[in-house]
Amino acid sequence: MVSDPPTKAVPAVAIENLRFQYGDKQVLHDISLDIPSREITAFIGPSGCGKSTLLRCINRINDRIPGARVSGGSIRVAGIDISRPDLDLQMLRRRVGMVFQKWNPFPKSIYDNVAYGLRIHGKKSGTEIDERVEHCLRRVALWDDVKDRLKASAFGLSGGQQQRLCIARTIATKPDIILMDEPCSALDPLSTLKVEELLLELKQDYTIIIVTHNLAQASRCSDKTAFFYLGKLIEHGPTGRIFTTPQVQQTEAYVSGAFG
Amino acid sequence: MSDSSSSSTVPAGHPFRRKGRGTDGLFKAFFAGNAGLTVVILVLIIVFLVREGAGFFPAYRGELELYRKAGLEFVDIARKDLTAHEQMSSLLNRAYYAQVNAACRREFQRSQEATQVVGYIDDAVAPPRSALERVTEGAGEEGAPAELLKSLNARYQSLLADALAGRPGKGLPPTPHLSDEERAGLLQELGAREPLSTDEPALVIALQEQLAAKQADASEPLAGFRETINAFASASEDLDNLIYETGESVKATKEAATLHEIEVTKRDTLLAAVPGTKGAEERAQLEADAKAAVTTEPVDYRAALQPVLGRMGEFEAANARLAAALGEVKAALPSDLADEKAQRYLATFRKAEDEYGRELADTMPKMQAWDFEKPVGLGATISGFITGRDWITGGEWQDFYGIVPLFVGSLIIALIALSLAIPLGVGAAIYTNQLAGGRQQRFIKPTIEFLQAIPSVVLGFLGIAVLGTLLQETSMKDSFAWVPGFPIEQRLNMFTAGCLLGLMAIPTIFSLSEDALNNVPSAFAEASDALGASKLQTVFRVVCPAAISGILAAVLLGLGRVIGETMVVLLVAGNRIEIPDFTEGLGVFFQPAHTLTGIIAQELGEVPFGSVHYRALFVVGMVLFFIVLAINWSAQRLLHRFRIGQD
Repeated sequence: MVSDPPTKAVPAVAIENLRFQYGDKQVLHDISLDIPSREITAFIGPSGCGKSTLLRCINRINDRIPGARVSGGSIRVAGIDISRPDLDLQMLRRRVGMVFQKWNPFPKSIYDNVAYGLRIHGKKSGTEIDERVEHCLRRVALWDDVKDRLKASAFGLSGGQQQRLCIARTIATKPDIILMDEPCSALDPLSTLKVEELLLELKQDYTIIIVTHNLAQASRCSDKTAFFYLGKLIEHGPTGRIFTTPQVQQTEAYVSGAFG
Repeated sequence: MSDSSSSSTVPAGHPFRRKGRGTDGLFKAFFAGNAGLTVVILVLIIVFLVREGAGFFPAYRGELELYRKAGLEFVDIARKDLTAHEQMSSLLNRAYYAQVNAACRREFQRSQEATQVVGYIDDAVAPPRSALERVTEGAGEEGAPAELLKSLNARYQSLLADALAGRPGKGLPPTPHLSDEERAGLLQELGAREPLSTDEPALVIALQEQLAAKQADASEPLAGFRETINAFASASEDLDNLIYETGESVKATKEAATLHEIEVTKRDTLLAAVPGTKGAEERAQLEADAKAAVTTEPVDYRAALQPVLGRMGEFEAANARLAAALGEVKAALPSDLADEKAQRYLATFRKAEDEYGRELADTMPKMQAWDFEKPVGLGATISGFITGRDWITGGEWQDFYGIVPLFVGSLIIALIALSLAIPLGVGAAIYTNQLAGGRQQRFIKPTIEFLQAIPSVVLGFLGIAVLGTLLQETSMKDSFAWVPGFPIEQRLNMFTAGCLLGLMAIPTIFSLSEDALNNVPSAFAEASDALGASKLQTVFRVVCPAAISGILAAVLLGLGRVIGETMVVLLVAGNRIEIPDFTEGLGVFFQPAHTLTGIIAQELGEVPFGSVHYRALFVVGMVLFFIVLAINWSAQRLLHRFRIGQD
C-alpha cells in the first residue's frame, strides 16, 4: 500500500488495521486510512472490493446485517473508537449521516421527511423545525421546486429531487460527516451534475466520503481518492495524483479502464 | 425470396418452423376451466341464496297481513303497555330485594358458608352412606349381615375422618364469616353424626333462623315501600285479563283463517289435476274430493273483530288505571335507598317512568286509529325485517322476523373479539417482525399460526368448560365487584364468545399484519437508523405508518372472520334472542345474545322446507354474505392502495 503523509493533524475518521467479515467470509483486510475533515474523499474500486462495506462501517449501519462484524482493528470518529460497547450509537449516527445508493425518502410528506431527524431528536418547536427544513431544502436547491407542496408526498418528486431530499434530510440533523454510497448511480446525467455541484458546496461545512463507480465523478469532485481491490486498500492520495501518476500497477490499470 | 417473405407460413424445414400443435393450448384450457368453475360456483351461490331468500318478503307480508286482519296486532298494542308495566314492577321489586338482602349480607354469607361445609362432608361420605341406606332398607326382619354393616361403617368413618381433615378435592370450604369456635363446633357435630342421620346440624339451623329474623327485621322499615310496589304491580290486573280474553278471540280468528286457507290450497291443487285425468269417473271423483276439501267458511274478519273492538271502553279504563298507578307510585316512592345496587334500580325506574308514561298516553289514540283493513306494504315488510326488534319463531301467537337482535349480538361480539385481537395480533406482529430475534421469530410465527388449526368446535368446548366457568367464578369474588356487570348471571355470554372469537382472529390479524410489516422496504428502516433513530422510533414512526393500510386490511379480514364464525358463538354466546339491555353500561357485554350465524346453524335444520321461517333464515344468510363481502372488498381496496403507495 502506498500512502501520502497525512496532511492535517486530526483526521475526521481514522481507520486502523480494520478487518471485517460477514460470517466466516473476510471482506476487509487490514485497512488503514485517515480521512481529513472538510474534504471530499472518494472510495473507488471494482464491484465487491469492499468499499461500500468500509463506508457502512463508519456509522455502524452494518450492525443491521446479521453475522456482520468487525474482527480486528478500529475506526475512530472524532478520536473515539466507535466499536466500544458503551458507545451511544444514535449519537454516532447523528454525527455521521448517510445517503444511500437508491434514494429512500420515507412514505411521508416532503416536509416530514426533512423534519424527521429533528423530531426524533426531540425538537418540538414548530418554528425552529420550519426554519431548519427551509434552510436544508434551500441548501440542496430544492426549496423553489417544493415550497408550495411541502405537505405533498415525497414520492411525487423525480428521482434526482428525491435523492436531494434525502441529502436535505441527512444534513437537517447537522452531522459532521456525510457518507454517500454511490448517490448518483441511479440518476440521469443532469441530476448527477446537480448532486455533484451540491457536494462541492457542502464541502465547506461537512466531511464527505463518497463511494462511486463513476471514475469521472471521483476525479471531478473529490479531493482525495482511495482505491480498493479485493478487500484491500491498494493506494490512496490526492485525487489528481491517483488519476495522473498512480504508483501501483493495479491502480493504473483501474483508472485507465483496463478492468473494473 | 420475394414469394417466401410475402407468404404467411414459415417455409418447411426452416428451424423457425413450429413442430406439432404443442400442449400449451391444453394446459391453458385446463387452468382456465378451473378458474372459470370457481367463478361459476360463486355466482351459483349468490343466485341460490337470492332465489331462496327472495320469496321471504311476499310470504312474510302475507303473514303480517293476517296478523293485522285477525286483530292480533290490535291486542299487541295493548300488550306493549303490559310488558312495560311488568318491567317497571320488576325494577321496583329488584330494588326492594337488593335493599333487604344488603341488610342481611353477613347473615346470608354465614348461613351459606355453614351449608357449604355440610355439603362438602356429605359429598365425601356419600358412597358408603347410600350403600348403608340400601342395605338397611332391603334387609328385612333378620337384619343386614353384620359383616357388611361393619365394613361399610368402617368405610364411612375413614372417609369422614378424611373429609374432616379436608383431604378430598379442594379441601374444606373456607368460612371467613364464621368464628373459629363455630367452625370447630360444626365439624365436631358432623363428625359425631350417625351415618344415616339427615338432621341439619344445630349451627346451620341457627344460622338459617338468624337469616330469616334479619330479613324480617330488614323488611320492616320497608313495609311502606312494599305496599307501594304491590299496589303498583296489581294495577295491571284488568289489562291482563282483557288481553287474555281478547287474545283468545283473535287467535281463534287467525286459526280459522289459516285452516280455511289450507283447505283452499288443497282444493286448488286437486282442481289443477282435473285436466290431466283420463276417465270421466276419475274426473268426477277428483271434483267431488275438491268440493269436500273445503269444510269451512271464509272468515268474516269484521264480524270476528266486533267483540274485540267492542271492548274499547274497557281497554280505556284499564289504561287509565295504569296511568293512575304510575302517578301514585311516583309520589309514594322513597327518594333514595341506602344500598347502592337498590338505588341504581330505583334510579333506572325514575329514568324510565316518563317514557313509560308517554307510552301509556299514546296507546289509546293508537288503538282507536288502528284499522284492520289497512294493507301491509312490501316496504313496511322489508323495514319490519331490517329494523324489527323481535325474532320470535314457532310461537302460538305470531312469528316475527326482525334481524336487529341478531345483528346487535353479532356486532357486539365482533367488537369484543376485535378489541382483544387487534392489540394482541398487531402487537405480536410488530414484535415478531421488528423486534424479535431470529430464533424467537421461528418460534412465535408457527405457534400463533397454529391457533388457526384448532377446530372451532374444540375452542367452543374450551369456552364452555374453562373460560365460562372461570369468568363466572372470578365475577363472584368480592374484589372484582367494581367491574360493571359483575357478578355475571349467565355463564355463557357475549364476552366469553368474544374472547374466543378474538383468539380465532388473532392468527389472521397477526399473519396479515406481519406480511404488511414485512413488505415495508428495509430501506425505510435503514434510513431511519442512519438518522440516529432508536429502534422504537423507527418501528413506530416509519415502519408502522408505512404498513398501516396493510394492518387495517388485516383487521378488516379479521373482522370478516369473526362475523362469519358460527360454531363458537352457537356454543358459547348463550343464544338468547333479545336486544341486550344497554342500560347496564359496560355490563352489557356480559349478557347472552344470539347471532346472525348462530341462528342459521341452530334453526335451519329444524324448519319445514320452504316455510316463511326457512326463507327468513336464507335472508339472514344473504345479509351475512353481503356484510362479509363488503368487509373483504374494503380490505382488498386498502391493500391495493398500499401497494400503489409503495411505488
